[in-house]
Amino acid sequence: MTLLLWGMVLALLIPIAVVCRPCSVWDRMAAFGSIASKVALITMVVAVLRGDWMLGLVGAISLSAGNAGMLLLANLLREVER
Amino acid sequence: MVFLLSCLFRLLLWTLLTADLSGVNLAIGVGLALLLPHARGPRQPMAPALRALWRSLIAVPLAYGEALALIGSGDREEESWIERPAGDPRHRLLIFLEVLAITLTPFTIVLGLSNGPRGPHYTIHQLRPRRGKPEEVQP
Amino acid sequence: MSLLFLGAGLALWFWGTWPLLEQRSYLSKLHKLSVSDTLGSGLMLLGLLLRIPSQWPLLALALLGLVVWNTIFGYVLARCSQPAEVNQR
Repeated sequence: MTLLLWGMVLALLIPIAVVCRPCSVWDRMAAFGSIASKVALITMVVAVLRGDWMLGLVGAISLSAGNAGMLLLANLLREVER
Repeated sequence: MVFLLSCLFRLLLWTLLTADLSGVNLAIGVGLALLLPHARGPRQPMAPALRALWRSLIAVPLAYGEALALIGSGDREEESWIERPAGDPRHRLLIFLEVLAITLTPFTIVLGLSNGPRGPHYTIHQLRPRRGKPEEVQP
Repeated sequence: MSLLFLGAGLALWFWGTWPLLEQRSYLSKLHKLSVSDTLGSGLMLLGLLLRIPSQWPLLALALLGLVVWNTIFGYVLARCSQPAEVNQR
């Protein structure tokens, strides 16, 4: 399980690296969305590992609330670019 | 009917969130489902929405199959733009479910809904494993 | 069994996120990101569900939210990143 957690953190580093490089704003949005769902999943896995259900609740809420802010930001950017 | 469906959906979310099936909690959930504002608009037929719901449910195993196909194809993929007939654009639940089913599968992403001469249709971007000779990619 | 699901989800994560680093068309990146984030994370949640079946309401809620939100997020990003004339076509 610890190995799995290391793998997940390693996968999380990929979109972070993408964000740190210069790239277009849409690439950046996609990478941030990916980071959001990965972090929520890592929270859930850590919660299961430690048997701590408060942490699991946090992960579940952040998954089900989703990245609504990113959706609004994407719509806003499209209107601005037009 | 759509009213009943949305109430049932909210009740389902409430019971999942609280994980409690006692009478008081169910009563609170029913009250909340009825009291929260509902979408207004013309009456919407039920049967196409149920069919679309079914299609988006079976899209989940289909999506895993397509993901495996994409992984197996390695780097040889072809992109294309296709169009597919859509449901009635005034029927919002139907459109939402259709967009969900199409975008969930990794081969296709919906790019927009437009009204052409042949009725409403989706503009879809498609990524498929390539078979046979390589073709020109349409931008 | 649970470890199998978790490992498969992790493999999908790596496969789907790696193309973000390459120079490709934006839409094909989005296709692969939907594989990794929606399907891979769904597999991982299934693995957690097998491990701790007593907490299934919470995990089911997370699974539902994950699938719906990530799919709609991909759709909105794809649609908004296209120039306007494509949408009007």
